[in-house]
Amino acid sequence: MPSFSHSWLPFIYLYGVGGIFFIGGMILIKKAKILNPQKKLDRRWKWLLYFGFFYYLAIHLIMILAALYW
Amino acid sequence: MESLHGLGTTTDWVVMVIYFVGIMLFGSYFAKYNRSTNDFFFGGRRFSWWLISVSIVATGVGSHSFIKYSAKGLEHGISSTMTYMNDWFFMPIFLFGWLPIVIYSRIRSIPEYFEKRFSPTVRFIATIFQLLYMIGYLGIGLLTLGKTITPLLPQSFAILGMTIPVTMMGVIVAIAVITGIYITFGGQTAVIFTDLIQGLILLFAGILVFIMGINYLGGFDKFWHLLPPDWRLPLADFNKPPDFNFVGIFWQDGVAGSVGFLFMNMGLIMRFMSAKNLDEGRKAAIFNVLFLLPISAIVVSNAGWIGKAMLGLTPAPLNPGVNPDEVFVAVTHIIATKGVFGFVIAALTAALLSTVDSLINAIAAVYMNDVHAPLKEKFRKKFRSKEIETKKELNAARIASAVFTGIGILAAIPFSTYPTVYEAHGYFHSIFTPPLVAAIFLGAFWNRFTTAGVVVTFLGGSSLMIIGARYPGVLITPIAHGIPMDPVHPYTYISALYNTIVCFGMGIIVTFLQDPLTNLVNNIKKIPNHKTYMSGTVLASALLILLIWLNIGGLPLLLLASFVLSFLVALASVYFLKFDPDSHLEGLTIWSIARAKELFKNGKINERDGEIVKVNWKLRDDAIELINVSVKDMERMSAEVGDIVYLSDARKYLGGLKSVHTRLGEPHTEEGVVYIGTEDKENAQFVSGRVLSIEKEL
Repeated sequence: MPSFSHSWLPFIYLYGVGGIFFIGGMILIKKAKILNPQKKLDRRWKWLLYFGFFYYLAIHLIMILAALYW
Repeated sequence: MESLHGLGTTTDWVVMVIYFVGIMLFGSYFAKYNRSTNDFFFGGRRFSWWLISVSIVATGVGSHSFIKYSAKGLEHGISSTMTYMNDWFFMPIFLFGWLPIVIYSRIRSIPEYFEKRFSPTVRFIATIFQLLYMIGYLGIGLLTLGKTITPLLPQSFAILGMTIPVTMMGVIVAIAVITGIYITFGGQTAVIFTDLIQGLILLFAGILVFIMGINYLGGFDKFWHLLPPDWRLPLADFNKPPDFNFVGIFWQDGVAGSVGFLFMNMGLIMRFMSAKNLDEGRKAAIFNVLFLLPISAIVVSNAGWIGKAMLGLTPAPLNPGVNPDEVFVAVTHIIATKGVFGFVIAALTAALLSTVDSLINAIAAVYMNDVHAPLKEKFRKKFRSKEIETKKELNAARIASAVFTGIGILAAIPFSTYPTVYEAHGYFHSIFTPPLVAAIFLGAFWNRFTTAGVVVTFLGGSSLMIIGARYPGVLITPIAHGIPMDPVHPYTYISALYNTIVCFGMGIIVTFLQDPLTNLVNNIKKIPNHKTYMSGTVLASALLILLIWLNIGGLPLLLLASFVLSFLVALASVYFLKFDPDSHLEGLTIWSIARAKELFKNGKINERDGEIVKVNWKLRDDAIELINVSVKDMERMSAEVGDIVYLSDARKYLGGLKSVHTRLGEPHTEEGVVYIGTEDKENAQFVSGRVLSIEKEL
């Protein structure tokens, strides 16, 4: 069985530290008022950005589970 | 470790030659769509997102990926994919911060941004760093080409009774010469379409290798269980071994590499700039990162995984001592039939050659745009007439291409000392990207960031980087996250974290010290001969850079020299470089993107939602770049006179090839008809009788 430092620790670090960069970016574009919440297209962009983050998180999660248990 | 030789058969070489000729002819067809330098460099801002997205695949996949990721796939398994799947974190600020700034400020190179945001001096410094970055990239590209082609050639060949051994550096020199005569057919439009077809072929070739490999091993389940458990994980071990660890690669690739690739790779940015509008550029980027990158990760790495699984078979069809950088070629040779092997290698080599060729052109373009043109402008009046200089410009570009190719060959030498291309590329990113990344980031996202701050980011930051590389045990170990230090290549990846911290740190500190520095400069200006004294600080700074570069004295002295250098550089920047917040910030930071749009349009922006209308076209007999549509069609588009519109052939599969951006003139009453001038018609190459669509942009 692979060690914690090879399986879950990189995953936690990737989405923890990477998540800080991502959320920091989202806060920055919100503060700069680049995305207008009144516009439908801009709301879609915002949710697409969040979707992308969780999409990659899910891919890595499934791949780790497959490596460990399949 | 054994090196392979003589793998290609006659059939394979025939397939390769046919492929190369076909790609060249395909590219040449699209050269006719270039009518201006805007078309040549940026594709005329006309293409649909799907065309841009697929063409980007060849930029990312074609360059070095098959060789370096297959090597790491063999050595470490599925975790070779992680560098392809860590790019999302910076997408918000790239898509909604940097991309609009680049598009709306109409910059043509990254150094040009630094001139607009700061000063011509900063542009000059940024040009040096940008050229170093691009030359390093060229060196990596040439090294990869050498590693791809060497296995196909015999160990030696005889000419006039002399036996000449085939060495990798010899192959690199030969490739550089061939690249010089490999013609670039007609600029960005041709590159986009050539890369479109090459991107698709590369994806197809990689998937073909995977399917053939799985079939060779006896199915996916067999393949999966032939891989040791550690090889199945998608992320590397946290901090070991030194040559492939998660945390180092996260900072080197996920942070410095991703930001570097997205924010300062002009090849990539020019693709997004060729999209018909900002939203299409964003769609292209999102589709690429969400769907094409995960597929690409499998495509470029799988030969290494198949190779590792082969080593679990008895007897192993693959030599266990295979050079990791040759595993892609070796595995493809085992699983592919004659001709198919030639096709896969041709697809890879052509894409690599195209990347290297584009890179040489891009370096020459940066040199001509950011070094040659400003120098020429300065000296033209004194020495020569404009006509004579114009004639000499083409020769200068040719000489620049040849010189930079030579420097690229030299750059490949230090990279070739690394065990694999992956590590060489990792080291390259760690060293060359942080100063530019820090300068772009702080410049684009922090209004307060000053000219003194950016100059110190470049010069003070890089001096601390040099000291870090000399004393990694003292300066990098504390932030190395427990990665063991390899004495030969210390901290190949995690040095990116140290380099990023010192570059950002110096820029931020100096920016916060702007007021005391300004007061000090004001006091200095009261002293007689103050200009002479300040010129002395520039000279002293140059001497300190030399001292640091030559590693004179121990660590404490070098650190002191670095801080004194940063102080003197900051002082000289405040004294010599003028900064006007109104002109240097407007439309050039994330905080003024609405203003950037207004400057781009040269008028108030119209953001009302409207329809896309379909119309028939009629030609006016003037060349004015305005179109006239009916009052009703203007209402449907929610458009006004003066708005920028995108006029294109309504056939969507053309991807915007026949299109043009223009402005709305006074309306008429003929519903469903657009009147266009001859210039717009020529730019778009519209076909008589074809329906057009019109879309309001701003």
